[in-house]
Amino acid sequence: MTKNKNVIEVEGRVVECLRSAMFTVELENGHQVLAHISGKIRKNYIKIMLEDRVLVELPPYDLTRGRIVFRYRN
Amino acid sequence: MNTKPFSSGLSENAVMITRVADRQWHALQDDLVVGRGHAAHRPDGRLFVSIDAWHDTTFDRLAEAMLAQLPAPLHTVVDEADVELTAAWRRAGFTVRRREWEYVVPTDPRVTGLHDVLPPSGVTIVPAGAADERLLRAVDRAIREEVEATVGWQSMPAEVIALPEGETIVDPSKYAVAATPDRYLGLIRVVTAIRPRIGLIAVRAGEQRRGIGRALLAHALGTLHRSGFTEAWAEVHESNRAASALFEGVGARPASSNLELVR
Repeated sequence: MTKNKNVIEVEGRVVECLRSAMFTVELENGHQVLAHISGKIRKNYIKIMLEDRVLVELPPYDLTRGRIVFRYRN
Repeated sequence: MNTKPFSSGLSENAVMITRVADRQWHALQDDLVVGRGHAAHRPDGRLFVSIDAWHDTTFDRLAEAMLAQLPAPLHTVVDEADVELTAAWRRAGFTVRRREWEYVVPTDPRVTGLHDVLPPSGVTIVPAGAADERLLRAVDRAIREEVEATVGWQSMPAEVIALPEGETIVDPSKYAVAATPDRYLGLIRVVTAIRPRIGLIAVRAGEQRRGIGRALLAHALGTLHRSGFTEAWAEVHESNRAASALFEGVGARPASSNLELVR
């Protein structure tokens, strides 16, 4: 887990692709969050799919949600 | 660059909107970044914006600040299934400009039916990496001018990589072309970062309806299949029925849709 500029970011793996452009991501610690795609990822047409390794930003006050801000290459 | 914090509303003065760079904004609450806005130019000159916020009110205030400081028109892209984000942009005054289908395209010739597809007589397919760069740039330029004179290039799938002024080809090695001895008739660009994306397939106006596009697609999908990829992705504007027919004819299916919004 990293904390950069007051933002909590955690690596995880996409374990489920849901409707409404949402994803279930399992974090490094086994915790699962409901995540959506960041605007920059959407803007650049980066596809997020099952089993992708991703970096998830968590909100400061709600650790059940997340935002996928980066997709790793492997 | 304006790095002076400001508040865009008295009723929510706990959230401060700050322009932290030329095209970047932060929403801060109790010294925490609770939202971000970003703007970037596309190669075709359009300015695209994005906002990430955990709450609607933060989104709205970022949008208000960005819209006040950026020149119109502004564009953004959303997944059509993401109704909350789409609604947020609508609140900011954005309207739907276009819809683009995202196709998942199978590569297996047994599925696509492209195993015995050949280009028309006198035309050969030059594989990616082997095209003559001068002829490639000539056909790319000619096709773009033809498109611009008809439906307009902005109706084509988005190109997101920044290019030098006047440049339209980032990496010539990504293009396979349909060729005659003296000129190229069409091209297909496939880029594989993790998954293959068919970024462009096009044939000169006077050479269409001869099976050249289908031959280019057969070549590209066959090459991907031999490399171990089972699927490729492609975006098609909803009004481009020729492209939709080409992809659906090989078993491609629309997996999702993107909306381009403009204000």
